[in-house]
This record gives sequence, C-alpha cells and structure tokens, in this order.
Amino acid sequence: MKSHKPQFRLLMVATAALVFATSTAWADIKIGFNVPLTGFAAADGKSALQGAQLAVNQVNASGGVAGQKIELVVYDDQASPKEAVPSATKMVEKDGVIAAVSGSYSGSTRAAASVFQRAKIPYVVAYAIHPDITLAGDYMFRVSAMGEVQGRGGAKLAQNLGKKNVVLITLKNDFGKALASGFKDAAPNLGLTIINEYEYGMPDRQFGPLVSKLKSDNPEVIYASGYFFTAGPLVSQIRAAGITAPIIGQEGYDSDKFIEIAGDASEGTLITTSLDRDSKAPATIAFLADYRKATNQGADMVAASSFTAMAVLINALKRTDGKGGVALRDAIASGTYDMPIGKLTFNDLHEVKKDIQVQIVKDKGFHHYSVISDPVLLAPPTKAK
Amino acid sequence: MLALELTAQGLIQGSIYALVALGLTLVYGLLRILHVAHASLFTLGGYVGVLVCNASGSLLLGFLCAALVAGFSGVMMFRLAYQPLLSQPPYVALIASIGLFIASEEAFRIIFGAQGMSFMAPPLQQQIVLGGGLQFKLAELLVMLSTAIIIAVLAWLQSRTRVGIACQATVSDPQMAESFGISLRHVRDINFFVGSVLAGFAGVWVALLNNLVEPTMGSVTSYKALAIIVLGGLGSVPGTLAAALLLGVIESFGTIYLGNVLDRNAIAFAFLIAVLMVRPQGLFAKR
Repeated sequence: MKSHKPQFRLLMVATAALVFATSTAWADIKIGFNVPLTGFAAADGKSALQGAQLAVNQVNASGGVAGQKIELVVYDDQASPKEAVPSATKMVEKDGVIAAVSGSYSGSTRAAASVFQRAKIPYVVAYAIHPDITLAGDYMFRVSAMGEVQGRGGAKLAQNLGKKNVVLITLKNDFGKALASGFKDAAPNLGLTIINEYEYGMPDRQFGPLVSKLKSDNPEVIYASGYFFTAGPLVSQIRAAGITAPIIGQEGYDSDKFIEIAGDASEGTLITTSLDRDSKAPATIAFLADYRKATNQGADMVAASSFTAMAVLINALKRTDGKGGVALRDAIASGTYDMPIGKLTFNDLHEVKKDIQVQIVKDKGFHHYSVISDPVLLAPPTKAK
Repeated sequence: MLALELTAQGLIQGSIYALVALGLTLVYGLLRILHVAHASLFTLGGYVGVLVCNASGSLLLGFLCAALVAGFSGVMMFRLAYQPLLSQPPYVALIASIGLFIASEEAFRIIFGAQGMSFMAPPLQQQIVLGGGLQFKLAELLVMLSTAIIIAVLAWLQSRTRVGIACQATVSDPQMAESFGISLRHVRDINFFVGSVLAGFAGVWVALLNNLVEPTMGSVTSYKALAIIVLGGLGSVPGTLAAALLLGVIESFGTIYLGNVLDRNAIAFAFLIAVLMVRPQGLFAKR
C-alpha cells in the first residue's frame, strides 16, 4: 500500500507536528509589538525588542499568565507611519492579539494607535512622546513622560543649575518641537531668559555656523534636543569651538552610542530621562542585572521603557486572568506599578505620573545626577486639558 | 568676528562640497552623465576610512585605503553600469545611476548596520586656538588645507602632464583626440578613478568632522553636489570649485540669518533657482 512508503509516513508525522504546534500556539496569549528593526531607528528598535522580550521571558519562566504562555508577535514598522498601519491591522485581524505594545517612535505609534483603539485593544506605548497618541482614545496608555512634560523638566533643571540665560537648539520634528514648547512654557516662571532659539533638520550633522553663532550668544546653559546621531556630532562640535556652558539633553541622547560619537566632549552632558543607572531601587537594580545577563549589553532608556510597557501590561493581564477588552483596559488604568523607571500610576488620560531622572555623562557612562520631582510642574495633561 | 567664523565654517563645508562635486563635474564634462551614485562612493570612503583606521590605528592608511577603494569602485561602476549604456540617451544612464545610489545605501545598511560607525579614538580632534577668540578643530583646518593642495596638484597634472592634456583633449573633441592616438577607454577610466578618489577622500573628512558615518550620509551630499555643478556651469572645473565654496559660505550665513524661514538644505536650491533665473548657463560658464 502506498501509505507504507517512508515519505508518506514522514509527511504524516510532519503534518501532525504542525497541527500540534499551531494548536499549542493557539492556546497562548498573544501580545503585539511594533518596533523599528530596520531603517534609521534600528538601533533603538534593537534595544526595545530586547527589553520587551526580557519581560515576556521572565513571566513565561515563572509559569505565564493564568497557566498560559505569553507569545510576542513582532512587526518591524521602520518607525514609519505607512508600515505601522498594515502591521497593526495584521495584529488585530490575522494574529488576534489581546493587547499590543509600541516599542517605536511617535510617527508610527500615532498611526497604529487609531487601529488598536477602533478594535478596543489596549495599546501600551513605551517611549513615543507625541500628545496625539493618548488622545486617540481610552485604550491607549503611555509609560514615558510626554515631550512637553520633559521640556518643563529640562527648564527646572536649568534653574536648579543656577543658570539664567538659555539658548535652545531644537530638532525640527514632533519630538524636538514638543520639548521646546514645554521648556518655553515653564521658562518665565523659573526665571529663565531664552536669548535665542535655533532649529536644525534630521539630516544635519555639521553644525559649524550654528556653533559660531552660539558662541557669540554666550549663553549660560544650552538646551538642545536631538537623537544620539545628531546630538553626538552637535555636542562634540560645541565643545570643539571652546564653548563650556552646560548642555542639557533628553531621552534621545540616552544611548551609549552618544558617548561613543561625542567622545571626551560628552563628559558633563546632562540628560532628562527615565532610567537611573545608579538607582538603589530593587526593581531597577534587578532589571539592569537581568538585562546585562540576557543581552551582554548595558540597558538604555529605550530598553527600560519597553520592558516597563510590557511588564505593566503583563501585570494587568494577571489581574484579569488573561482576559482582554474592557476588563484589561480598566486593570491597566487602576494599577500602581513598581518598575525599572520608577513608581508609576496613570491619570485619566492614561498618561503616566512619575519623576524625571537626570543623568550626567561621567567617565564614559551615564550616572545619577539628580531627580526632578515636582508633581505640579511635571503633571501630564489630563482629559480636561 | 562672527562674520569671520561663519565664513570659515562655510569654507570648511565648501571644501567637502568641492571634493565631491569635482568628480561629478569631471564625469559630466567627459560623458554628459549625471552621476548621482557618485555620493555613494563618498559614503563608502567614510566607512573604509573608519574601519581601516580602527583596525590599524593609522589614519593615513585609512585615507589611502578609502581613496583606493572608492577609486576602483568608481571605475567598476563606469565599466559595469555606464559603459554599456553610452549609446543610449543620457537619461537612461541617469536612471541607472539613481538605482545604483539607492541600492548602495541599502547595501551599506545591510553590511555595516543601520546605526552608523565611529572612530574608536577620533584623530585630529586637537583644539587650535587662533587669535581673536577663533578656535577650530585640527581636522577643520586640515580639510581646507588638504582640499587646496589636492586641487592645486590636480590643476598642475591637468595642464602639465601628457595624461592631463589627453583628458582635456578628449573633453573638447573626443573624435579628434582618438585620431591622435589617445585611448578613450583609458581617459574615461582615469577620469572616474580620480573623481572617485576625491569622493572617498571627502568621506573620510566628514567622518573625522562628525565622528559618525551612516548609510544615508550621501543623500544630502548627492543632490547638493548636483546643484553645485549646475551653478558652476556644467562640466567646468574652476566653476564647480567656486560654486562649491560660495554655496558653503552662503549656507553658513543662511543657516543663521534665514534659518527661521528656510531650511538649511533648502537654501542651496533657493540660491540655485535665483541664479538660474539671472544666468541660465550657470554662474561661471563661458558661454
């Protein structure tokens, strides 16, 4: 008989294995994850994926949620809105995810947000800072401080340094403009005078003319927004021109790559961010150690925020016994979380309430400088506003 | 004082533009091809320079390897992509060139990674303090100096050596040149080689100035170099030089005084449009 042929038996075994494999996968809880694994943001994407994966591995190693394993469904969105919508739709329609996490930038996260909101699937955003994201609806959550809030924190830091005259160097995109507007908002009440503001574009790496002008402005402190690939050359060129005023940066600087590019010039740079590498908090210490063990790399802000977004979601899933929808949304909203980036709660717009960590570059690494803790100044926008 | 500093910064940027645009104008003068993919040799030069310098600790070796790798890659580009298309109308070669440029950006991303590369111990970062509060990085001063030297040497080669004169003859009348025993094939190879060497050289300078090379670092340079050779009166070497330096300085002042109205990278094109309205043949064309 034909069925006794070895090839046929092999086929039967393979089919059985496949059926078996898919049926166990079906029993898992699927969480979607959009992240830029290629394109200009790929370096951050790698950190984000490693952070999120760590949170998932930890919960699976300890028995999963309601007896089921968590399965991460990963899509590369290239930090681009046009990739984000199809991948969000696939997560909803094809993969049937119960919830999703964004490990990506504002552009793609904004685009994906409305897809998840329409499907009533909770979406926890790790480090994208654009205000429109949580405005998409009540299924949206964000674990990082919005641009405006971070900008206000930057102004507070300038005041704490005892400085008065500030020059802003602003990256011309959602991220830079949100930061600058927060800074300008808070500046008058903190006794700061903004003597000049310059804007630059994403492709700019050579800042010679801007630096010359900056030198003649002679500010006491410089508030410069950017990502490590723009901030690295910028800070190095500012120092090369002999300008010694302190430079305040933000989360976009928060990568070892920044220190690698700017070299010695990076020493003394201050950044407002979410991760304190020298933290004494047990959740942070454990995360830093586990991350190093899993990846053989030091964690950055993106990794810590993506871990946090995933861990917040898993924490809530445990409380709903693996159920999604309204129950999960309400569980996320009502929780209090002890995370590597601090103690978190959400307000009525599902923006996070937390302190801002200030890190300083010292001996080729980010280290603790101070904490900005001012619930009024750092209050995120609410539904009312 | 500020004006002086802005001029100096403009000349630094202009030197980089000049190195890249010269190769482009050489190719255009000889073959009437707009060689967009030229900027990918600039990126390639940056990567090779950083890799070799990091591995060997010698910046000089980095420069040498970058120039040679870019030079030979340029010749390969000509032989494989342009030579078979020479009988076609020029836009066919232009399309090939754009395709080649996009493909090379992706290739850099796949081979070297998306996040770029830096020198482990960036050379030439010493601070040079000149009188009157002027202060520069050593690399900034050397980029101007070396560009001036290279261009002087090239000018000498072109007017005083057999090879240089053969090149000039080929540009002005290829058929006549060939009948005098000049090998067109040789002249074209040399042309691509020299132009590409300059681009690779410029790539290493930019790596030194920013301590960062990325897959996309050629994209802005590629279209700005095109604007420069149009400004310089397509195919004219002295015109290209002058246009590159002029654009560097205009951009430098424009970034500061027009920055709120015009993006830095738009200034080049606003200037280009303004010039073409008055002098459609370019700033420095003879006719």
